[in-house]
Amino acid sequence: MILAVGIPVFLGYSRPPSRLVSAERMYEVMAKTEFKPGEVAMVWLDFGPGTLAENQPQAEVILEHLFRRRVPVVLLSQYQQAEVALQRVPREVAKRLERELPDQRWSYGEAWINAGFRPGGAIFIQALVNASDISKFLGRDVTGMPITQYPNFAAIGGVERVKLVGEVTGLTGVFDTIIQFFQKGGYQPTVVHGCTSITIPEAYIFLDSGQLKGLLEGIAGAAWYSEVLKQHYPKSDNTKLLVVNTALSAAHLVIILLIVIGNLVPLYQLLRQRLWGSHG
Amino acid sequence: MDSTTSWGLVTTLIGGVCTLAIFSFLLKENPFYRFFEHLFIGIAAGLGPLLVLRDFLWPKILEPMLGLTITTYPDGTLSEPYQPLYLLYLVPMAFGSLYYFIYSRRHAWLAKIVIGFTLGTSGALAIRGFFGEVVPQITGSFKPLVVFSNGELALFESFNNILFVATLLLVLNYFFFSFGKDNSAQDGSPGTLQSRMAPLGRPLLMICFGAFFGSTVMARLALLVERVQFIITDWVAALSNVVGIG
Repeated sequence: MILAVGIPVFLGYSRPPSRLVSAERMYEVMAKTEFKPGEVAMVWLDFGPGTLAENQPQAEVILEHLFRRRVPVVLLSQYQQAEVALQRVPREVAKRLERELPDQRWSYGEAWINAGFRPGGAIFIQALVNASDISKFLGRDVTGMPITQYPNFAAIGGVERVKLVGEVTGLTGVFDTIIQFFQKGGYQPTVVHGCTSITIPEAYIFLDSGQLKGLLEGIAGAAWYSEVLKQHYPKSDNTKLLVVNTALSAAHLVIILLIVIGNLVPLYQLLRQRLWGSHG
Repeated sequence: MDSTTSWGLVTTLIGGVCTLAIFSFLLKENPFYRFFEHLFIGIAAGLGPLLVLRDFLWPKILEPMLGLTITTYPDGTLSEPYQPLYLLYLVPMAFGSLYYFIYSRRHAWLAKIVIGFTLGTSGALAIRGFFGEVVPQITGSFKPLVVFSNGELALFESFNNILFVATLLLVLNYFFFSFGKDNSAQDGSPGTLQSRMAPLGRPLLMICFGAFFGSTVMARLALLVERVQFIITDWVAALSNVVGIG
């Protein structure tokens, strides 16, 4: 298994990812959502080292798309261990975009702010959606600076100005809290979700009911989303993600092979026993 | 992981050692693995309270309450006036602290007030959450069995909806245990329609569990891929950097 995974990673070998309709639908939603000046996207990065393998690529493609569209992004988390992701993911995406487009800048405070870890779960989200001005309600960012000091986020206003909500997590409880409480009379945000493979079957329920407008299914979802991004922005670099996706597919092939062997061998033994067993 | 800075280099090297220590369990249980396992548990347990204190209690509650967010300018004026209303935070803090009376036999009733309050709040939130989450799913399950698109029958979508509704009804039916008593085993009667349809829900549930299991395997493999990639690309590069090969 280590070899199956390690060889593509070591050689940097990649295959094109499979088309995923849910990820494609999410791209359409993200591309078509209109943001007027002052309106923002709110992306919750509720993952830590435990699910970083799947959630980080998802967070990267979501942020890349929003950054390319110059949509101001408020990043925050309900999960304590998300601190590293909140700091690192937007910075790396911004760096990558600046390498690709050297005459443009994506800087902290302008492209995104990090409101950090917010405890309280449902109670916090209830208070957030009922706040008259989200900038004032959130108060300060992780650097200790009042959020009202950043021009793009100075006066977000009520929750109606949050046009898109992104939730990247492998924690179903945390995701449920967003679905249950990030709404108020007459306001239903456009919610997109990056989930881990384990939670795909559960996330599909929300996609089917329309509570989710788009879904990234594990690494495969992020890989296809990055491919769609590449179709629209040809210089977008998704090589690393495609290598990971290929390595994952190689691991799946090994698992399938083991399942086939594991079933064929007993079947062969059974048949041999039945057909020739009595003759020795 | 950024291994271009010295701090990044150190964390990458430590990360690699931690990963290999945990992977060493694949060979057999060993003290190296056990040490790092305990280290992870300790860090995770310690990190939680520390982050709550650093990211929430201190900057959001204690700092404004103590007036530490106010800057005094050289001319003696203040950046903002002190808000005495912040002192109201003391009321819920004192109320919440009553929880600690759980350790006193005589005053444990005080803790029960807090527990009762918490249960009431949680119950109310659960009801609110139920309506926010489940009602749209119930309405979302009302699907047309025959779908027309641009005046023509949409076969695939219609098939999907029929499959969805049939699965929903059969699985719900499988979980009816409380009425429609079935005496077929005793008296040889054919049984109720409900009881005869019930077994059909089981294979559908098994398909669902299979999907869950498959996706769980996929998630675990994704973790393996990420760690292998980290070891092969980041860690080996950092190690080469340190020993002066790269």
